[in-house]
Amino acid sequence: MRKFFTCLAVFLVLALFMGVNPPTSSAADDENCLMCHKYRKMGIISPEGVRKYYYVDEPTFMQTVHSRVPCRDCHYFIKQIPHKPVNTGVTCDTKCHVINPATMERFSHKPIADVYEKSVHGRAKRPEGEKGAVDKNKPYCIFCHINPIYNPEERETGLPKEITDRCNVCHENEEFAKHWYMHTSRRVRDVKRQGTQIVELCNTCHKDENMLEEQEMLNEALLHKEMGKKFTFAGESYDESFHAKVTKYGLKGAATCVDCHVDSDNYYMAVHDIRNSSDPSSPVHPDNRVNTCKKCHYHGEADESFVNVDPHPTARLSDNPFIFYASIIYNIIAYTAFFGLVGLKMLETVGRLRDGVKLTIRNGSSWRRGLK
Amino acid sequence: MSIEEQQTEDLIRRLPDKLYKMVDSNPLGDIQRYSIHIRIQHALTFISFFFLAITGLPIHFNDAFWAQPLNEAFGGIESTRIIHRMNAAAMTFTMAYHVLTMIIGTLIKIKDGTFDIRRTQIPMPKDAFDLIHDLKFFFGLEKTRPKMDKFMYKQKIHYIAAAGGNSIMVVTGACFLFPDIVAKLLPVDQYYVQSFARLAHPHEAVLALLVIAFWHWYNVHLEPGRFPMQWTFLTGKIAREHQIEEHFLDYERELRNNPEERKYIEKVVEKYERELD
Repeated sequence: MRKFFTCLAVFLVLALFMGVNPPTSSAADDENCLMCHKYRKMGIISPEGVRKYYYVDEPTFMQTVHSRVPCRDCHYFIKQIPHKPVNTGVTCDTKCHVINPATMERFSHKPIADVYEKSVHGRAKRPEGEKGAVDKNKPYCIFCHINPIYNPEERETGLPKEITDRCNVCHENEEFAKHWYMHTSRRVRDVKRQGTQIVELCNTCHKDENMLEEQEMLNEALLHKEMGKKFTFAGESYDESFHAKVTKYGLKGAATCVDCHVDSDNYYMAVHDIRNSSDPSSPVHPDNRVNTCKKCHYHGEADESFVNVDPHPTARLSDNPFIFYASIIYNIIAYTAFFGLVGLKMLETVGRLRDGVKLTIRNGSSWRRGLK
Repeated sequence: MSIEEQQTEDLIRRLPDKLYKMVDSNPLGDIQRYSIHIRIQHALTFISFFFLAITGLPIHFNDAFWAQPLNEAFGGIESTRIIHRMNAAAMTFTMAYHVLTMIIGTLIKIKDGTFDIRRTQIPMPKDAFDLIHDLKFFFGLEKTRPKMDKFMYKQKIHYIAAAGGNSIMVVTGACFLFPDIVAKLLPVDQYYVQSFARLAHPHEAVLALLVIAFWHWYNVHLEPGRFPMQWTFLTGKIAREHQIEEHFLDYERELRNNPEERKYIEKVVEKYERELD
């Protein structure tokens, strides 16, 4: 009897836990990682006192482009289950499950990860040494890319039968057509971020003046590298530009960060290959600015004179002393003119009231008759 | 000098200091002041200025809580920028129309021999003396206001400010709209050109708006004696008491040229003189 109740209790506890998050469909989880990672509270408190969660929300994960990737394709360093504490993070240049039909090799994000690593933002996942100290503030892949979900519109409308029926003729498992279509259609569509999203993303770092000042100091101290004049206020100064103001209102076509700092031959490749402006391959290198501005500036009329326009304007003394002093003079003139006129008007009102003018709707005369 | 002219001059000499308190006035206006062209120009400036301000301010003050709703009220950035540019074109046209009116009007007056520089908006040394005199009057140090011409000092200040401000707005706006063409045309470093345009365009706009709201509108609507409004911008006429008080020298011309007005004012003066006796 005691054995029976013990079994019943274990069953009830398991049933309770299972009820928390019933699996909605089979993830690529042959090794049953979710047996532990399905629990919401699963995590640790790090020695620094930071709470870290290792919970995986299966229903959400199943809607993502990585839903068919077995966990250990990315978390390859896990050799046994249950595993020991992990000190190595996932990198995006590992090879995963999909066989590339062109090369017959396993798919990997390595080509774009390699491009990114050479860019001005490039860094190792776990930076080390002096370069590592400089790189620690730079963004790694997951800073910009979350695990993207499939197109929500298609989830609502369902799969196009006229396409998936054809797939199902040979691919008997309908899951294939579903995942293949959802994965591919998301890619075929224009998935460029909107201008406001790009600016917001870049400004996450490029408006963090404390972090940027630290970065500037580290670059100079450790790498003896001088940063650009506007490095610490690139985001703030962009916000002062006309480009930023109309982009904020959703105007398509106004230049955002990537329109100028990225060579747009292949936008998706180029956004990972942002270079320092002193790099001759950068679109904002002095030798390339005319062509970069010509991309938008009308009729291809932008020339050497045009590119002197400052796309990151400020009124800081260190950045633009001309405007710093001009704005002081302008403000003095404007305030003097405005308050001078208003003051004069007040005096006039007082003087005329003393003279006998009436504060009423005019009907014939504004003056108190009899007052001479 | 004919007898009639002599009588007129005599009447002008007899005019009491505070005549403006003794006359009857039609709030809609008694004496012709502005031509139909000036009234059309005022209407065009008013409309274009209003829409320029209301579509431009949300861009400059884009962080303000009211900026986004105001911009949306006009259809979002795609349409507000078109509205802004259309009204900029209207304002530029109005400026050109005004300049043309002035040139042609002046040429006609020169041809007729009636041109008088004292009736123009050109600042004269007398304006400075009038300002000082008026300030003394406001402080109670003078008994009467100065005898001023068709355009008194404050109108000249306003006119010059509006002309200068409009010119700055048109030029800097053109720098924004055609930056590449401006870069080709102006042999100046575009860094400074565009930096200055970015400074001047919004600052000038805000200053103009403040001056219009707190000075011009006060002058023509709320100032004691003008409430609820001066109708000159619609009727082209000015109330007699206003003309005498602030444009006395132009009123003297009216007396010389208008027998009806002379007849009326003679009665007023006679009544005043009888009361004095």
